[in-house]
Amino acid sequence: MEVSPEKAHTAVPVKKKKSFWKTALDQKLLYLMSIPFVIWVFVFNYLPVWGWTMAFQNFRPGRAFTEQEWVGLTHFINLFQDDYFYLVLRNTVAMSVMLLVAGFTIPIIFAVLLNEVRHSLFKRSVQTISYLPHFVSWVVVAGIVTKMLSTDGGIVNDILMALNIVDSPVQFMSKEKWFWWIVTFSDVWKEMGWNSIIFLAAMAGIDPQLYEAAKVDGAGRWRRIWHITLPGIRPTMMVILILSIGGMISIGFERQLLLGNSLVKEYSDVLELYALNYGIGLGRYSYGTAIGIFNSIVSIVLLLLANGIFKRFTKTSVM
Amino acid sequence: MKHWFGKLLGIFLVLSLMVALAACGGDEDSSKQEEKDSDSMASDDDSLEPITFTMFSADTNPSWDGMNSAVGQAIQEATGVTLEADFAIGDPKERIALMAAGGEYPDFILPKGDGDLLVDAGAMLDLTDLIEEHAPNIKAMYGDYLKRMRWSEDDHSIYFLATAGVDEEYWSPGTGFWLQHAVVEELGYPEINTVEDFENAIRTYYEKHPEIDGQPTIPLTLNADDWRMLISVTNPAVFATGGSDDGEWVVDFETQEATLHYRRPEEREYFRWLNHLNAEGLLDPEAFVQQYDQYVAKISSGRVLGLIDADWHIADAQTALREDGKYERMYGVYPATLTKDYKFATFQSSGYLAGWGIGISVNNPDPVRAIKFLDWMASDEAQILHNWGVEGEHYTIEDGKRVISPEEMEKRLSDTEYNKRTGIEVFRAYGPNWGDGVLDPSGQTYTINTPDQIKENYTEKEKEVLANYGVEMWKDLYPSADEFPVKPWGAAWQINWESDSDIALKFQRAQDTMYRRIPEAILAKPEDFDKVYDTFMDDLDKIGVEKMEADFNELLQAKIRLWND
Amino acid sequence: MAKRAKLSKTNLNERLFDIFNYTLMILVIVITLYPFLNVLALSLNESTDTVRGGIYIWPREFTLDNYAVILQYDTLITGFTNSVLRTVIGTVLGVFVCSMIAYTLSRKDFQARKFVSTVIVLTMFFSGGLIPTYMLIRDLGLINSFAVYILPGLVSAWNIIIIRSFMDGLPFALQESAKIDGANDFTIYWKIILPICKPVLATIALFIAVSQWNAWFDTYIYNSTNPALTTLQYELMKILQNTTTSTSGGIDSVRGQGLELMKRVSPESVRMAITIVTVVPILLVYPFLQRYFVKGMTLGAVK
Repeated sequence: MEVSPEKAHTAVPVKKKKSFWKTALDQKLLYLMSIPFVIWVFVFNYLPVWGWTMAFQNFRPGRAFTEQEWVGLTHFINLFQDDYFYLVLRNTVAMSVMLLVAGFTIPIIFAVLLNEVRHSLFKRSVQTISYLPHFVSWVVVAGIVTKMLSTDGGIVNDILMALNIVDSPVQFMSKEKWFWWIVTFSDVWKEMGWNSIIFLAAMAGIDPQLYEAAKVDGAGRWRRIWHITLPGIRPTMMVILILSIGGMISIGFERQLLLGNSLVKEYSDVLELYALNYGIGLGRYSYGTAIGIFNSIVSIVLLLLANGIFKRFTKTSVM
Repeated sequence: MKHWFGKLLGIFLVLSLMVALAACGGDEDSSKQEEKDSDSMASDDDSLEPITFTMFSADTNPSWDGMNSAVGQAIQEATGVTLEADFAIGDPKERIALMAAGGEYPDFILPKGDGDLLVDAGAMLDLTDLIEEHAPNIKAMYGDYLKRMRWSEDDHSIYFLATAGVDEEYWSPGTGFWLQHAVVEELGYPEINTVEDFENAIRTYYEKHPEIDGQPTIPLTLNADDWRMLISVTNPAVFATGGSDDGEWVVDFETQEATLHYRRPEEREYFRWLNHLNAEGLLDPEAFVQQYDQYVAKISSGRVLGLIDADWHIADAQTALREDGKYERMYGVYPATLTKDYKFATFQSSGYLAGWGIGISVNNPDPVRAIKFLDWMASDEAQILHNWGVEGEHYTIEDGKRVISPEEMEKRLSDTEYNKRTGIEVFRAYGPNWGDGVLDPSGQTYTINTPDQIKENYTEKEKEVLANYGVEMWKDLYPSADEFPVKPWGAAWQINWESDSDIALKFQRAQDTMYRRIPEAILAKPEDFDKVYDTFMDDLDKIGVEKMEADFNELLQAKIRLWND
Repeated sequence: MAKRAKLSKTNLNERLFDIFNYTLMILVIVITLYPFLNVLALSLNESTDTVRGGIYIWPREFTLDNYAVILQYDTLITGFTNSVLRTVIGTVLGVFVCSMIAYTLSRKDFQARKFVSTVIVLTMFFSGGLIPTYMLIRDLGLINSFAVYILPGLVSAWNIIIIRSFMDGLPFALQESAKIDGANDFTIYWKIILPICKPVLATIALFIAVSQWNAWFDTYIYNSTNPALTTLQYELMKILQNTTTSTSGGIDSVRGQGLELMKRVSPESVRMAITIVTVVPILLVYPFLQRYFVKGMTLGAVK
């Protein structure tokens, strides 16, 4: 029991405030409730960061740390000199912007509209069903999307043909410029319901009296949404947005790999696939680590930027 | 030091959590620890004392059920050994790297292509002396092939015992140009020797039958979902131009020099031919977009006339057609080549492929016991047990011959869980074993596969087609193994480079380029084909493909020297 | 008169809105139900028939064989028990720890607030990589232990931030009055804050439960040699193991053993049955949590 406060004292940046020690004593329970976990994340999350040294070696597993060959910044130089890296970076950024815009706004709109459904059973059913696709793997979803867009009996082409919009089936999956849209669309389909849960939870925290009062004032649906619901979930929205911006560069590769094919490769390869194929997949742990470090730095910079901007203009921040 | 520090921190963390929990009256159990019991260290000669060996395999084995099956029990009885297996999920490299980094190795390891990480980390025992002293069966089975298992020119240690079937005979071509029986029947069984013959067959039939069962006919489709493209699109280019399967390489027999196979001018012509098919509307427009299950579904519908693929890719579809009774929509396989000057070389022998196998790690508590176990696995007793099962239960002996009753055989063929329940063919992969066609001292084959069994499995339609071509089996249409010299390097795809070497990187780049450019070339307008292919070649040059080939050739030469000295 | 006109106009608008909204929601149901129904139909279809394609929301040749294939693995029982245990323990501890930290961060007067939140938030955006993490877990003696399922991911930055953002929306007066009544910080958190945070806690519980339930990689990396510690997802991954997971470079493992390999790939219908087996138990958790955030918590009632 005594250990934690002591640790805490050394850990806190010591600012010379007048009643610092007294306040600290007052807040001893707050310290006890948080500092042990700071140590916790230090162990589980920060300690493994010694692994970043791998980026400056030609790391071979099975050799002791002292036996590794040190190569300085070689891996970073190789990374930044690789044209392919810039191609995958472009694709990553493009898709993550699209995924961010669609994956952020659509769940909010959906949550707001769902919140307006008054029939309780129906509301719960919609919510339960809408999050089902989250549990279906990308392999399956990609398979369904490819079949829907097929020229050989795919439903989308069948509809377009029946409506005389096109005269011959469209090869959706082989068009490079459509690939990003297909990924975005599939992602919204799969994750909309799941991503909306958090906003619905935030809405549940809004004081119902506010709505009652608004109704008495004669405010219509839209005005209630605009003046009560949206402001009510604003902190959650902002926080999610900031975190998503921080995570922009790490968008995974599964969706792109499964929906892509060799004809759209120049638009479907993303950074994490590159890291896999040219890093760990080849046993180049050091190169993989260098990409990881690049990733982390970009993410943290983005996070700090987003956090700073939002703090300034909306008074919301995550740190 | 680090270890100690870590332990302390761990204890601290657990304690602080418990304190925090106690403080707020929570009553959750935070953790439960279970310690693995350690194995006994005893090693007596020929002891049958129970011992447990752990094993890691880079390949999964869904039929694995520990030692519970009849065959598993028999193994335990005969050797006292219990195997505890752990299988890779996804890329085995991941686990192997962790083992190497942490220095914690299971007793047996089958790392496939990633053995270098283990050898480099000093994880594997040299088996040479152990084999010499304790393993007569292994020596008898491998004979001269043991030489092929030596690690490298600098290090003649044997770390892994190959698990490929020794002296295996092949009775199925495996790959080629497939045509529906209906197509060749209608055209009066034309000779299919060149890709042109193949094209003419599908074209003529397609013109007569633009629809099959009310749906549009697909003259030819390809299987290009991710890596499957290598099997159905690029490998056939090698076969059609006289090469045998060396992965992405082709090795000139005279000079013994390897090149990336699509760099050969004749393969450009093969892809030009595919390009021409596409321009003529004979190639499925979805060939490079469809996923594997769509491909299989199309074939199963019976409206795809021709295929270029390996047999195992279309096996499910053929089964579906067979169950539907659409026997004329099933496929025969033909050795078409680009021109008459090439011979389809899929039967060319690689000699014994000794690249991948099972090794004993330095952590093995009893290496002598371990090698004796592997030696037992190579014995006649074990080989018959692995393939035929337990006498009296899965087969009987009549007139000195092993006989599997028709009922048992039926179960064996139709019950998908047969192997899991009985253990038959489950343990074979974890030790040396004989290939198909090899005879035991009684004159019967060790495995139960025979040419007769394959023939029995043909449909009437298939037999009719074969009869019209004047042969008994599909393999008879192909040039046989004795028409080709044995490849002294084995198979080039089994030549592993160091995982973080320059070749590895360039090879990956070349692959990435190939995946993009070859489909692009095939789908280009015919007049643009050369332009695209030239770009492809330029791209490869920029990657430094010459250097990569030179590096690879050094490895190849080293292997040839090592295997043939 | 004017007032009535206005009222009926509002009513009309409301009605139109409702019609539009309900139509849209029905559309959402149809669209989002499809993938799941598709998986269900495939899992109930005869597996050799499945390769013919064309199964949408109804099996063509009904069978339960695919489920029988999965359920005969007796390791599943141990796996199921462990999965339930880790989900329950992981969720309870996770919600407790994350909400407690979140509470300290929501206290604007807390001295170490900035420090704690920075240290924790940053963990979201870097990782030491697989090898160092493995070595750490090994040095902590957590290999082959149940604890490895719970401890490493216990403090989740994302969850903490979400809970905190919810707490930030609560009126501070609530705490002040408690403080005056002499309650200590932990009591305020436990007795006052937690009860009104139910919606967000339910959400976080769902997130943790789902990720605990779905996790298999930690079993594979740390505990695969100990059958007593296996989890359902890991056992199913072993059956599920299929060739689509191999990206480039995996091809050589296919060569020369194609037929062998095909034997190892479970048929599509079996894979779909596995999906259903893994998803259904966790779906059952949802309705229990759902009432906390659909009904709407009456914050006012607490006041």
